[in-house]
Amino acid sequence: MDKKYGVYICTGCGIGDTLDMEALVDVPDEEGVNCTTHPFLCSKEGVELIQKDVDDGKVNAMVIGACSRRVNFDVFKFDNCIIERANLREGVVWPHSREKYPALTEDQKDDEEHFDPIQMKAEDYIKMGMIRVEKVSLPKPYETESFSKKILILGGGVTGMSAALDAAKTGYEVTIVEKTAALGGYAAKLRSQMPVAEPFETLQVPVVESLIQEIQGFSNIDVRTNCEVARIAGQPGELTVTFKTPGEKIPFDVPFPLPEEMLIGEDGKELDAEAAHAKYLEYNEGREDILQLDPNGELYGAVILAAGWRPAKIEGEAYSHLGVDIADVISNDEFEMIAARGKIVRPSDGKEAKNVVFIQSPGKKEDDADFDYAGSITSMVALKQAKYVREDYSDGKAYIIYQHMRTPGLAEYFYKNIQQDDGIFMTKGAVTQVTSQGDSLAVTAENTLLGENLAIKADMVVVAGGMVPATKDDPIINLAYRQGPGFRDNDIFGQYADSNYICFPYETQRTGVYAAGAIRRAMTIEESMEDATGAALKAIQCIESSNRGMAVHPRSGDMTYPDFFFQRCTQCKRCTVECPFGALDDDAKGTPKANPTRCRRCGTCMGACPERIISFADYTIDSIGSQVKAIGVPSEDDYDEPPFRFLALICENDAFPALDMVGMNRIDYSPNVRFIPVRCLGSVNTIWIKDALAQGLDGAILIGCKHGDDYQCHFMKGSELAETRVKKIGDALSSLALEEERVAFAEIAIDEYDKLPEIINAFVDEVEAMGPNPFKGF
Amino acid sequence: MTEKYLAQPDLGFIAQLKGLGGETLKKCYQCASCSVACPIAPEDSPFPRKEMIAASWGLKDKLIGNGDIWLCHQCGDCTDLCPRGAAPGDVLGAVRSAAITEYAQPKVLAKAINDPKKLPLLIGIPAIWFAIFAYITMAHGDAMTKLFNVFGIGWSHAHGGAHIISPANFFSTWFVDLTFVPVAAAVALIFALSLKRFLNDIHRNAVQEGKTQISTINYKEFFQTLIRVIPVILKHDKFNECESNKDRATPHMMVLYAFIGLFIVTAVCGTMLYLGGYPGPYPQLNPIKWLANISGVALVIGAGIMIKNRLNNKDQLSSYKDWFILGVVFILGLTGMLTEMARLAHLEYTSYFFYYLHLIAIFNLFAYLPFSKMAHLVYRLTAMTYAEYGNRK
Repeated sequence: MDKKYGVYICTGCGIGDTLDMEALVDVPDEEGVNCTTHPFLCSKEGVELIQKDVDDGKVNAMVIGACSRRVNFDVFKFDNCIIERANLREGVVWPHSREKYPALTEDQKDDEEHFDPIQMKAEDYIKMGMIRVEKVSLPKPYETESFSKKILILGGGVTGMSAALDAAKTGYEVTIVEKTAALGGYAAKLRSQMPVAEPFETLQVPVVESLIQEIQGFSNIDVRTNCEVARIAGQPGELTVTFKTPGEKIPFDVPFPLPEEMLIGEDGKELDAEAAHAKYLEYNEGREDILQLDPNGELYGAVILAAGWRPAKIEGEAYSHLGVDIADVISNDEFEMIAARGKIVRPSDGKEAKNVVFIQSPGKKEDDADFDYAGSITSMVALKQAKYVREDYSDGKAYIIYQHMRTPGLAEYFYKNIQQDDGIFMTKGAVTQVTSQGDSLAVTAENTLLGENLAIKADMVVVAGGMVPATKDDPIINLAYRQGPGFRDNDIFGQYADSNYICFPYETQRTGVYAAGAIRRAMTIEESMEDATGAALKAIQCIESSNRGMAVHPRSGDMTYPDFFFQRCTQCKRCTVECPFGALDDDAKGTPKANPTRCRRCGTCMGACPERIISFADYTIDSIGSQVKAIGVPSEDDYDEPPFRFLALICENDAFPALDMVGMNRIDYSPNVRFIPVRCLGSVNTIWIKDALAQGLDGAILIGCKHGDDYQCHFMKGSELAETRVKKIGDALSSLALEEERVAFAEIAIDEYDKLPEIINAFVDEVEAMGPNPFKGF
Repeated sequence: MTEKYLAQPDLGFIAQLKGLGGETLKKCYQCASCSVACPIAPEDSPFPRKEMIAASWGLKDKLIGNGDIWLCHQCGDCTDLCPRGAAPGDVLGAVRSAAITEYAQPKVLAKAINDPKKLPLLIGIPAIWFAIFAYITMAHGDAMTKLFNVFGIGWSHAHGGAHIISPANFFSTWFVDLTFVPVAAAVALIFALSLKRFLNDIHRNAVQEGKTQISTINYKEFFQTLIRVIPVILKHDKFNECESNKDRATPHMMVLYAFIGLFIVTAVCGTMLYLGGYPGPYPQLNPIKWLANISGVALVIGAGIMIKNRLNNKDQLSSYKDWFILGVVFILGLTGMLTEMARLAHLEYTSYFFYYLHLIAIFNLFAYLPFSKMAHLVYRLTAMTYAEYGNRK
């Protein structure tokens, strides 16, 4: 691409009133780049002005100095052009006012004593924008060699069947893989189910049968029972899937990565790539390597994971006070099975159980949480099963002792309806003991709504076990990925297959695999059916995006992908190991193999690479590095007391919008900080920080998302990796006699914008107290 | 309290409460808005939240002998503010109704009075009774005079001399008193027995639930407290704290004072008749007549407003027991006034007809007092006294 540069500066929204426009226009002028100003650039006239230059072939790489790139992105959109938005409004003139930083008088302008921090910031941003458009290029979409639009669904329960129907109705071909002999899943074993339709009040016949029937009417749904997935290899759009009969051993069973302890040789050192690979082959004897594609495998575009759950077992010392060893103390699952067989009878002697106590929480004093893997559904199941007791016996009595009675949304109607039954009694309370007393059971509870210590005589006690996701016991998806067949670090989600279900439902840590139903969290049939629709849509989005070389999520539509300069690769495997999405598979030698449709374009590999050989078309080590270098560093040659200069690398997902909010709220912070948005802090290569300090910047701060168990990082691991990397450069800095504190790391949530000025100012104050960077001026 | 409470829900009791106007009792989800809204609930374990869960669990033992249910004046503030559409006021009303039935003896009568199907019987028995004695009075006056003379007592209480219209000519005052004095004695006995159990129960309940520090009741002090509580009731202090049904306090007060007035009139008339030999009807200028007329009018108006309020108020549930007692009181007042008016208009037999109805109404009020809603006057007085005595805060 033959680049033709242009700079457009808007003087509206206070930009022209605050800044010295002549001096600002001089910045591109001095570089010989044409600069146009307009009082209202986002207006029809303003956009037409740019479009005309584009149409006339005058410009195809431009800097627009106006508002933040988070606004008007649909207005300043010119096909086949490289566009950089210099954030003069939210980033410069809105947070920093002339009341606080008065404009310089003519006398002050060159007196080497006074300087104008606002103007300096604006000029830096124009320079930084100009160098970026020079360094980046337009992306070319990635194309896979082959492509399939078929959707594979793991699990033939309500969720799997619903997802299949939803996808099939939109015309996609679907395969359902069911481990057992028939479709239906757990829902097929129920006596009744909670309502799935208006008025959401009464129990209904399970929907399973009608779903099975409906599926038979679709020729584009292929049902495979007694079948499971041995491995899924490749990448979304061209996933090669090997099926097998459950329990069978075949060469295309997925291999597992070596456990960490096996990567250490006898000499105590880490094995080199080849030795490790040899050991890996030995460890997985009889199984083909992940890169070996099954010639008989079938091609699929995306996967919906609907493998469901198993009932939790409530047993052991921790629950002995609930009498879990007594025959008539059973789980809600066991109760359902009794109910499905006929009248509610006791497992011990087959006698009618007319008085049943449902226990919803373990009754521990220090923690009133429900049982593990429980949720609102366990509350609703208790309501449902209480109703069974009443259905079977007109003089039956069902007691529900809960710490939490959760009936979200329209399920409240169900609760209200059940509550109306004369023989269903509910109270909040902590169950203290369940004991055998002659022919019956004695349940005691404290702190109940009835005030005192409550005692109830019961024929049977039902404990509200949760729903354990299938992913707790087994990887299920069996991905032929170097990082392993399942999801990583799933323990922070209690092994639920979910990457961040608050922000991104259905997404898993593996692109193209979308979880739905009880594998994501304990949920009802109604919720599972809704979930199935969501996952089906995500699978379709994945197929249609991958087909056009676009990222699926969260950088939907991004056409870039990591590009490796393999000649310089040292096979260190850091990119393979650190990729949060397992997008990279290394070969026997350790050379990474990119799988671009697995990639989410976060750039974590780019941040990880010590050789700096990974880049994206519009996001490279050099493009950001050059922006850093474009920051003007005033020295004592320029001013008697030169202002300090700081670099802030800010995550564009949450921290950057927060910074814009600071601007919108006209809150001032140190104007001596230059912000460069990055895709994710994980993409920050420490070379940028080293370069910044080497050129005399006084400090650098990384601002990104919160990490840890409740992480908010859009790429799961990015901000966590960045903090580790920043700690590591601390040592390098000390060797240069630079204080470690010159490089800082901050976490911020998107709603904490008000804290951002404090964070920035505190960092600036700390570094200013240390004095200027001794390398300044070198 | 560390003692365990064995919950024994009674499905029959739940059904009973639902039938008595507490049909919303299962709607409660224990947010306690009602206890916060209630202007008269004590601060320490306030009602009606705890009564609501006891009701929805069918815990008869926790409700029937619970003094708190009588502290409630059914203002309706709780019902208005309930986010779930439950009506705690009406549920407590139903519980009170059940409690009256529970304590009243004989049970057969108690049940009949709350059963609309038994209404013809309840009216028919006094109707026949009074018809027989009216017939005797009117047709066999001479025989009765002879009979009474045997005992040396005068038969007629009618004015001698000029013929004036007097109810005594239609229905002998002897028969009136021979009917109502034994009835009153029976009612007093029934109440005495019921109250003994009732007071024991509410005391036991209060001790169990930590609502009092007192272990045993000192009856002398209890009686002294009663004297202190009466002015509170006369002034309707508690009733006036209500918001939603504030307009109910005034007619209730009118009816209460009307009954007090009529009680004084009856007492004076009885004394004058038997000790002074001065029979009614009194002339209109007599101060006792003034009191009688004012009370009669107040009774009719008060009961009339209450009926109108209940008809207009769609939020408050009105059950058979409410209509029964309101009907009795209204008809009692109205027939009394009409008897007098017809008499003054010289419509002799019209007057007697109304007097006949009046007697039936009086019988319905008095004989059924321990079983009807009217019994609240005794239970509430006792419970309010107990609350004051037991230092319920």
